[in-house]
Amino acid sequence: MEDPDTAEHTYIIRPNYQHKFKVGLVKECIREILKEQLGGTSYNPQQVSSLCRSVADCIKGKLKELGFDRYKMVVQVVIGEQRGEGVKMAARCFWDADTDSYAQDVFMNDSLFCVAAAFGCFYY
Amino acid sequence: MLGEQRELLCEADSIMDEFNTGEETAFVVDEVSSIIKESVEGAIGGNAYQHNRVNQWTTNVVEQCLSQLTKLGKPFKYIVTCIIMQKNGAGLQTASSCFWDNTTDGSCTVRWENKSMYCIVSVFGLAI
Repeated sequence: MEDPDTAEHTYIIRPNYQHKFKVGLVKECIREILKEQLGGTSYNPQQVSSLCRSVADCIKGKLKELGFDRYKMVVQVVIGEQRGEGVKMAARCFWDADTDSYAQDVFMNDSLFCVAAAFGCFYY
Repeated sequence: MLGEQRELLCEADSIMDEFNTGEETAFVVDEVSSIIKESVEGAIGGNAYQHNRVNQWTTNVVEQCLSQLTKLGKPFKYIVTCIIMQKNGAGLQTASSCFWDNTTDGSCTVRWENKSMYCIVSVFGLAI
């Protein structure tokens, strides 16, 4: 989609294996970014907004480098304060299960928790 | 602070198919927003936070949303996420970053709360 030529439909209905959204790879990439950006930090209400954005942007940037050709990507990051509250996150997708997938990882320390989920949707 | 939402969009100009330009096949944020609100009200309503029912609530919210979205009959793939958090003074922040076609795709986030919990629902619509 970065290249204007590819913004048009190709009517290819399946990605090549090497361009397919690979859950394991993405999960590993999310795990590394969360560790790198959140390791040693504590929950700070003033900074959490920009931290959250930067984590989301960083994951998206990394996914673009992984070469998932013709995939649209959605990255959602949730950072919460650890105060013993109950939290539940759920997701449902309406998509093509053959081509589309998601990966997620959770980071936790004494002060905060972070859930990051990346969804990849193939553009035909 | 809660329910912060952002989209980062792809830079390239995109060429829309002719059949994809009308209102009836576009992602209409207001429409989606009211679907989300109805789903949350329907699933949670006035209930107080109960640990053993949260699973059911989140499932109901996303499924209700998705079934209403699909009934719109638009050419989209949808991603629906729902977060329910018990209120006890703890902070929560969410952000999203997307790589997609700015001209066709869209998202909508609704933040809902009652006395004992927050509920944040995001819908992402990706044109096929």
